[in-house]
Amino acid sequence: MKMITLAAALVAATGFAGVAQADKLDDIIASGTLRCAVVLDFPPMGMRDANNEPIGFDVDYCNDLAKALGVKAEIVETPFPERIPALMSGRVDVGVASTSDTLERAKTVGFSVPYFAFEMAVTANEKSGIKSFDDMKGHTVGATAGTFEAIALEKQVQEWGTGEFRPYQTQADVFLALSQGQIDATVSTSTVAMANVKTGNFPGISVVGKAPFDTDYVALFTNRDEYGLINYLNLFVNQQVRTGRYAELYEKWVGGDLPSLTVPNAYR
Amino acid sequence: MFHTALTSADLIFLAKGAGMTILVTAISVFIGTLLGIVFGVLRGQLGPIWFAPVTFVLDIFRSVPLLIQLVLANAFVGMVLRLHISGLTVACMVLSLYTAAYCTEIVRGGIHAVPATTRRAARSLGMSWLQDMRYIVLPLATRIALPSWIGLALGVMKDSALVYVVQVTELLKSTQILITRLQEPLFLLLICGAFYFIISFPLARFGGYLEKRWSND
Amino acid sequence: MFGYTFQWNQALARLPKMLDGAAVTMEVAVLSMLIGIALAVLLTLLRLSGSRPLKAIATTWVEIARNTPALFQIYMAHFGVASFGIHFSPFTSLLIGITFNNAGYLAENFRGALKAIPDTQTRAGRSLGMSQLQAFRYIILPQMLRIAFLPMTNQMVWAVLMTSLGVTVGMNTDLYGVTQDLNALTFRTFELFAIAAVIFYIITKIITLGARLIASRLFRY
Repeated sequence: MKMITLAAALVAATGFAGVAQADKLDDIIASGTLRCAVVLDFPPMGMRDANNEPIGFDVDYCNDLAKALGVKAEIVETPFPERIPALMSGRVDVGVASTSDTLERAKTVGFSVPYFAFEMAVTANEKSGIKSFDDMKGHTVGATAGTFEAIALEKQVQEWGTGEFRPYQTQADVFLALSQGQIDATVSTSTVAMANVKTGNFPGISVVGKAPFDTDYVALFTNRDEYGLINYLNLFVNQQVRTGRYAELYEKWVGGDLPSLTVPNAYR
Repeated sequence: MFHTALTSADLIFLAKGAGMTILVTAISVFIGTLLGIVFGVLRGQLGPIWFAPVTFVLDIFRSVPLLIQLVLANAFVGMVLRLHISGLTVACMVLSLYTAAYCTEIVRGGIHAVPATTRRAARSLGMSWLQDMRYIVLPLATRIALPSWIGLALGVMKDSALVYVVQVTELLKSTQILITRLQEPLFLLLICGAFYFIISFPLARFGGYLEKRWSND
Repeated sequence: MFGYTFQWNQALARLPKMLDGAAVTMEVAVLSMLIGIALAVLLTLLRLSGSRPLKAIATTWVEIARNTPALFQIYMAHFGVASFGIHFSPFTSLLIGITFNNAGYLAENFRGALKAIPDTQTRAGRSLGMSQLQAFRYIILPQMLRIAFLPMTNQMVWAVLMTSLGVTVGMNTDLYGVTQDLNALTFRTFELFAIAAVIFYIITKIITLGARLIASRLFRY
């Protein structure tokens, strides 16, 4: 009887110890695979090549992270609205999905320090006659559901009191709707706007100016309570900048002036 | 005729999506039908009152949009239970229960359509309950239920277009991915629609034919 | 017990917005049903007419509506037809998509109902001096609608459930769209969608119970 109790206690103890030690960072290294949530209709951050294989800044960034961890990278495509559910449901380990680090979201997930920063740009259908951000007043505008710019733009349209806002499920649907003339203009990150206009897939649209929204800092994310992994991610982002890899990837996928990832006069 | 940038690699990509649609449908309809038969028979045995809790639960699957069922199941399994289950599994689980909910009604209707007097006659001939089910109810109820069941299976195939929300790349999602790259929405959508139609139409017609044939004699 | 902390109050604070969404959902569903029934009657007439091309149009409509996913039909109504330069707002696209679907399924239901009405009734009407259309209008139609009442109720429930597909064409005022918008803001996926599910459940229950009540009053004999 004593033996059984002892054995049970031992099993329980090791069991609990096992739970306590089960840290996501260990899990990833042990499993040999890092699963990243990446949005693949968000060029140049995430897209598909002619063989429908994932490529882009975020894809490379995930590969770098996997290399640092010494594991294989697995890209899991997630539309914008599905990024957090994919993480929460354990389908991915880390989000490398150009996710804005808002306070509201930080109540649910844990963010690293910013790994990229977007300026917001207005892209308009040339027939609409929109030449600047303020020209959008009274027009039908759209953006990708669940993104920083969609939330900001919807608020702006409500403030203007005229016009209409339409959130589409994917960035691709937004540009499709824009080129079809279903919406007159959209606000998106300038990198995405440039990349989409450059493809030549969407005749009749052009980038007309900047949107006066705050710089959109985006961060890697994982579960809120995985401090070990979040620490690792923070150091990883720092190392990417330090080693010049960030600049290299920026040149490869975006080009132009390298955006600063730090906020002046602030600690983080 | 059409100038298109669609390559053979893209067609294979679409075919993979179509394969996924068929896989999800096949698994879900199979499990859902088994569950539906069990529930349908149980309901007949227990009576509506004792079976009410199950009826209530199954009714939820018919009263809430499938999209929400999928999102909720995904969030529940992953966020709340923290189980590491693939999107495909979640999709099949939800669609199976969704199928079972409708299938139970079909089975119930089928069994109900067998006249009570016929069954009593079978029992009075000395058949056991199982024999009555096997030799009397099964053949008669199948005639009533099969056409509706074909309709249900096709319905599940069409509804499987929604499993994209749990990261399963089925036919419609594959089409959207290609639209993103190729920007030929109409052409690609027509291919996608034609595929569903080619599978669904003949089977639906076959169901209609069975219904007509079996209702006459 | 679970590794997840529920924050129901965060989600419940948004309930009024979601109820507004439910109103829009009902609006789309009811409109799509009313127009859908009218179109289905028209399709039924076309199928009864002797003309081959008219029959072909009706049959094509019914078969496409019944043999392709509703999501596909709605997506087509927005992005597909825009290739011809025809633009519909998300609301209109959703309405067109669901109405197209409703009309197809209802027309098929009506066809089934017609089988239950003996031909002799039309002939009796005709021999009383009614035109073909009058016979249909006064003799067949009322009976057809009554026989097809239960399938019509089911279709109404489906119409409500189908409104959730509007998000794919940029709809954000219906119940599902509102819920998804709130989810993007707060990431409280489970709580928000659970509330949406309950609202949908209540709506469908009201419809089925309401229909039963109407049926018991209208078809007492």
